[in-house]
Amino acid sequence: MKRTMMFIAMIVLASVIALGCVGEKPKTELKVLHAGSLAIPFQKVEKQFESEHPNVDVRRESFGSVDAVRKVTDQHKEADVIAVADYSLIPDMMIPEYADWYVRFAKNQMVIAYTERSKYADQITKDNWYDVLRRADVKFGFSNPNDDPCGYRSQMVCQLAEFHYNDDKIYDDLIEKNTNIKMRTENGIYVVEMPESESIQPTDKVMIRSMEVELCSALESGEIDFFFIYRSVAEQHDYKFVELPPQIDLSSVEYEETYKKVKVERASGKIATGKPIVYGVTIPKNAPNEGLAVEFVKLLVSESGQKIMRECGQPPIVPPVVNDMSKMPEELRSLVIS
Amino acid sequence: MKHEKMLMLFVLMGLFILAFIVLTLANMIITQITLDFSGLIDTARDSTIWRSIWLTLYTAFLATVIAFIFGVPLAYVLARKDFFGKGLIEGIVDVPVVVPHTVAGIALLTVFGTHGLIGAPLASYVKFVDALPGIVVAMLFVSTPFLINSAREGFQSVDPRLENVARTLGASRWRAFYKITFPLAFRHVLVGAVMSFARAVSEFGAVVVIAYYPMITPTLIYERYISYGLSASRPVAVLLILVCLTIFITLRTIAGVRRHDRD
Amino acid sequence: MIEIKELNRNWREFSLTNINLDIKEGEYFVVLGPTGAGKTLLLELIAGFHHPDRGEIWIDDENVTSLPPEERGIGFVYQDYSLFPHLTVGENIEFGLRLKEISESDMRRRTKEIGDLLNISHLFHRSPRTLSGGEQQKVALARAIVIEPSVLLLDEPLSALDARTRDVLREELRKIHREAEITTVHVTHDQTEAMFLADRIGVLMGGEIAQVGTPGEIFNAPINERVAEFVGVENIIEGVIESNEDGVTVISINGHRIEAVSTYSVGDRVRVCLRPEDVTLAFSRERSSARNSFKGTITQVVPLGALTRVRVDCGFPLMALVTKRSVEDLGLMEGDEVIASFKAIAVHLIR
Repeated sequence: MKRTMMFIAMIVLASVIALGCVGEKPKTELKVLHAGSLAIPFQKVEKQFESEHPNVDVRRESFGSVDAVRKVTDQHKEADVIAVADYSLIPDMMIPEYADWYVRFAKNQMVIAYTERSKYADQITKDNWYDVLRRADVKFGFSNPNDDPCGYRSQMVCQLAEFHYNDDKIYDDLIEKNTNIKMRTENGIYVVEMPESESIQPTDKVMIRSMEVELCSALESGEIDFFFIYRSVAEQHDYKFVELPPQIDLSSVEYEETYKKVKVERASGKIATGKPIVYGVTIPKNAPNEGLAVEFVKLLVSESGQKIMRECGQPPIVPPVVNDMSKMPEELRSLVIS
Repeated sequence: MKHEKMLMLFVLMGLFILAFIVLTLANMIITQITLDFSGLIDTARDSTIWRSIWLTLYTAFLATVIAFIFGVPLAYVLARKDFFGKGLIEGIVDVPVVVPHTVAGIALLTVFGTHGLIGAPLASYVKFVDALPGIVVAMLFVSTPFLINSAREGFQSVDPRLENVARTLGASRWRAFYKITFPLAFRHVLVGAVMSFARAVSEFGAVVVIAYYPMITPTLIYERYISYGLSASRPVAVLLILVCLTIFITLRTIAGVRRHDRD
Repeated sequence: MIEIKELNRNWREFSLTNINLDIKEGEYFVVLGPTGAGKTLLLELIAGFHHPDRGEIWIDDENVTSLPPEERGIGFVYQDYSLFPHLTVGENIEFGLRLKEISESDMRRRTKEIGDLLNISHLFHRSPRTLSGGEQQKVALARAIVIEPSVLLLDEPLSALDARTRDVLREELRKIHREAEITTVHVTHDQTEAMFLADRIGVLMGGEIAQVGTPGEIFNAPINERVAEFVGVENIIEGVIESNEDGVTVISINGHRIEAVSTYSVGDRVRVCLRPEDVTLAFSRERSSARNSFKGTITQVVPLGALTRVRVDCGFPLMALVTKRSVEDLGLMEGDEVIASFKAIAVHLIR
């Protein structure tokens, strides 16, 4: 009995000591929430930031962009930096309650990823991809437009393709025939209407997953032949990909007016308008370490940050653009334009 | 008197952990009821949600039945026989509990997918990806260990000499098993099945990789959360908790009654 | 009835080597051996719970070596009773009958008979867990014999019981064996139990049958040192009651007379049991209260540490256990003539 009590006491003691060890060096934690597609560049930024600030432990968490924002707005999770794959989420969901400003710091591009084992891998090009996807034995995927910006952007690509290739059946054949997603026209604007997620009901030809990353395993196991994804993800996974024309791939500010013709109305009622894929970053109002967060953003938009973004297939916007210079921390103002 | 003190201490410590569980659940349920009762009512009237709850319970039930059919014999063998590599097999049985669920989902997709080891030969008969069988295999994978381990403990607690005696009395192995061993291990098996069912109902990570559709309740809750936030997902979660709570209390009561009516 | 031929089996830390036994119809055969000798394993091999590595088992002129337990026609009773805890006493006893194709009324009759025989009918509705050890063992016994097995196997059936219950149940076992005439194999480590119950005893030591014989043979003439050490050096002498007056009994042994206290009647064949430590040795007849006093020759002196075992031939063999000091003081040597004495009350008679 005595021995057992000793044993228990030792375990308790050990736990307390271990706890002490963990907390021994009180490193400041910098919490960064970011879109899944930023995981790899941010990992590199984190490394560099930590080498410059040895007393700081950067804690990154990957989410879908909407999810990342909701962590702050709904769950009131503390975060020092939030970076999303669609900068417009910040003005739409966070300003003015949870944030005042944001910086557009990098871009991305929609591509169609595949592997060597995909059907017609040797035939697909940027000129015939919609015909390849139409073939009965081909399966393709995109992420849920309700959940993931990459998902609604896939919809936009398919609709924009109709204009570019002058084929008004592309969206019908690829999306409408295979899902409950519908399209309506309003004053020359094309609006994709998303049903509730549980009612999308894709056929066997189409695979939908909540997040773009979940489709990767489906592509790798041969479950699907192609899927719509950001160039950065395709490059980071070493997939082959079809680079689409800039008129439809949502990468180019040049075609901003064209992109605007397509909208996606999500089940929640929120409407996303086609625009170049631009990553946005902000420091939420509840950031516990605002000073360090400013340092982090500073590194992100600096030349070395830009270099990292470029290497990861997410070209930086040079110089970065801020929405409202007056609300931005002073230290950052010299690095951006409005 | 010393014993009383110990008992008091144990009750206090027990209350601590109980409070932890109850507080978390009750906070959610009570917040829902007090702050947004109408939301709960609307949810309870939504046939989409009931369909998904029914689907979840049904698939979890199927997974449990399969786990039972194949897991109980394995549990018996593990409880009764010593053989080379037994430790390895016991380890393998435990692995699904340890594997992160997304990893499990990806592994299942690779095996049960259209081009997978099992999926390919079965492709013309049964479809796993984005279909009910996919949900069942994902649930089965993560929940089987609970049933096997509990059943094994149950069988271990039955003295093999009881089986020996039954056989000298003229019972075949089969009969000795279902007349003696199984009834005596029944509570363990039932508790294992309940745990296994519960685990299956709650599974999200593995299911969502292999079968996003048809949408089970955990996926639906997640979707509601992504699209509309906490206020839309919570009533669904509360409803699921209440349904499961009812089922578990009923099952536990049945198990309890069966134990007491013999004493 | 039961023939065991060249039986070999290794299982966990137990092993049996070249077991040969021939147990006769209706015989009460006791396998006597120390803990770990492999007694239970032997019994379980006969029952069919284990399969031999080598050798054969025949029951009733049938080779049953590869038959499953349910087809061997045996009743089995374990030391810990092994009653089915989820069934009532009645259901336990009926278990085997229900598996046979007999009518409900037949079943009731047989259950009742056995219940009456063992005096447990009043317990039928109870749960086994509520019974005393002795009651549980009676139920286990009833369950085993109600199916009328051709062989009854008992694995240390009395070892878990307290001394008084053990004596009662020992008596019951003998009664049942006489009435039902079932060939019985009873495994135990208890010499008294063996002596009391056995027609014949097989001594199992280290996985081998060391000796087979009547209790007299085993206890009087252990075949070797190991057996002797295990069975204890007990004086067991066979004789006939010559007279009995008010309990003072005279037993005749090869013309010698031994006085004892008993209730046996004249003409009864009995075994005289006498612990060697109760025998005293002297060179002359002393005045003492010892009623039995025999002149004999020392045939063997075996030192056993502080004690010495002395074998005396008084016309019948008599073993004495004396202290080393006495041996030295008296100068006891082989060939010496001595007087061996013991009290009448130190003698106990069986059967």
